[in-house]
Amino acid sequence: MSVWAIAVNTFREAVRDRILYSILAFALLLIGASVFLAGLSLGQESRIVKDLGLAASSLFGAFIAIFLGIGLVFKEIERRTLYAIIAKPIHRYQFLLGKYLGLVLTLLVTVGVMALLVLGLARLVDGHWSPALLLAAGSDFLALMIVTAAALLFSTFSTPTLSALFTLAIFVIGRLSGDIRLFAEQFAGPGVRQAVFALYLVVPDLARFQIGSQVIHGLPLAPAEIARAAGYGAAYVGMLLFLAIAIFQFRDFK
Amino acid sequence: MRRHRLRSPARVSTCCLAVAALLLVGAVIPLHRQSVSPEGSGVEDRVLLLPPPAALRAAALGYRGMMADLVWLLTIQYIGGHLATDRRLPELRRLVETVVALDPQFVEAYTLGALFLSYTGRDYASAIALLERGARENPTRWEPAHDLARTYYIELKDYPKALHWFQVTDRLPGRPHYVPRFIARLYAQTGQVETALELWRAMRESATSDWVREIADREIAKLEGQGTAPPPKGHR
Repeated sequence: MSVWAIAVNTFREAVRDRILYSILAFALLLIGASVFLAGLSLGQESRIVKDLGLAASSLFGAFIAIFLGIGLVFKEIERRTLYAIIAKPIHRYQFLLGKYLGLVLTLLVTVGVMALLVLGLARLVDGHWSPALLLAAGSDFLALMIVTAAALLFSTFSTPTLSALFTLAIFVIGRLSGDIRLFAEQFAGPGVRQAVFALYLVVPDLARFQIGSQVIHGLPLAPAEIARAAGYGAAYVGMLLFLAIAIFQFRDFK
Repeated sequence: MRRHRLRSPARVSTCCLAVAALLLVGAVIPLHRQSVSPEGSGVEDRVLLLPPPAALRAAALGYRGMMADLVWLLTIQYIGGHLATDRRLPELRRLVETVVALDPQFVEAYTLGALFLSYTGRDYASAIALLERGARENPTRWEPAHDLARTYYIELKDYPKALHWFQVTDRLPGRPHYVPRFIARLYAQTGQVETALELWRAMRESATSDWVREIADREIAKLEGQGTAPPPKGHR
């Protein structure tokens, strides 16, 4: 119950944040502009609207996760509201989980708005609905849940600037993890290869949540693979949240 | 009192806005205008400076479909610019290969790229290589196989290869209705002009751009002026 109360409060706080609206406005502008770009594409209107729309939704969703996530705990400490909260009969883990769920709820609403706009524009261009686009946006949302958990983790022990840098690095490495492994296999010696492979296993593999390309090309989706990706995402989020709770438990706020 | 009024925030803000507007009109726009090339929109520079596909793949941060779209839009600008002037497309192959390296499932990049390579650049070898790559990467799509058959049939007059690719097309879902008829004609060694005309008319009907329609119209006119077809060579 306490977790839900904190989540709702975090959501309310987030929807009042001007950063959220600035990022969302840019994202909606870019998604809308894809229709005009598509007109220059020699018959590839549908593809461009869907590609740009899904990419904008994922990229700007990540910005929202990073820029709102990094301040989740820091702001509470800075404003000293955290002292009032931890003085109440609320466990620290409940506070963190509430904060995380509140931001995930905010992301769900914003990514949902962007995905619906992409769906509507695709309907306008194609003349028929493509509900699989929502599945692609949903899969991307799982990746954003990992980014949010990473931002929360860094927010428990670092300043917002450093947290933003760390989370951005996690996002970039996660998106490129497959390529990093490939480069190491092709060019590095055995020692470096093993080290990179170990790193590859530890950093989040955000590329596995990308099914937009299959959806846009009408290729068959593998439900088992999507389920495995969802399981991986849940496990990774769980790991990051446990780490965040462990660090937050040891912090001294006196 | 007077001094205080001069420094009021509204006044400072108005002055700053006026200076900003002056700088925009008096310096930024004229200086930017000087840097605009009189020769065009800079598409050629952007084409020449386009990084190799491996670098673009990394820079795309996994959004490879979107990056492929952006390179495709550049390709369209490049084709448009040259169709309006010298009708030579020396960088087209590199551009299209970059697009399909970023998104190997971008079937239209293979087919449209090959069409312009064939009918504007007269580079049939590159067109064939591109379409073969398209057929390899997209074994369930009929379009690359069909366009290979068309190129071998109409332009290269290599009827055994055309027959092979029409047979490949015939096995793929969604293929055009006329493919079995063409296979029969190739076996019977008849109807070369009719087949070519039908292929171009089908392409004209399904064309999504005026450029493709223009190529189809030109080839249709050429075939209609030709009358009867020469006997096929290399045919079994």
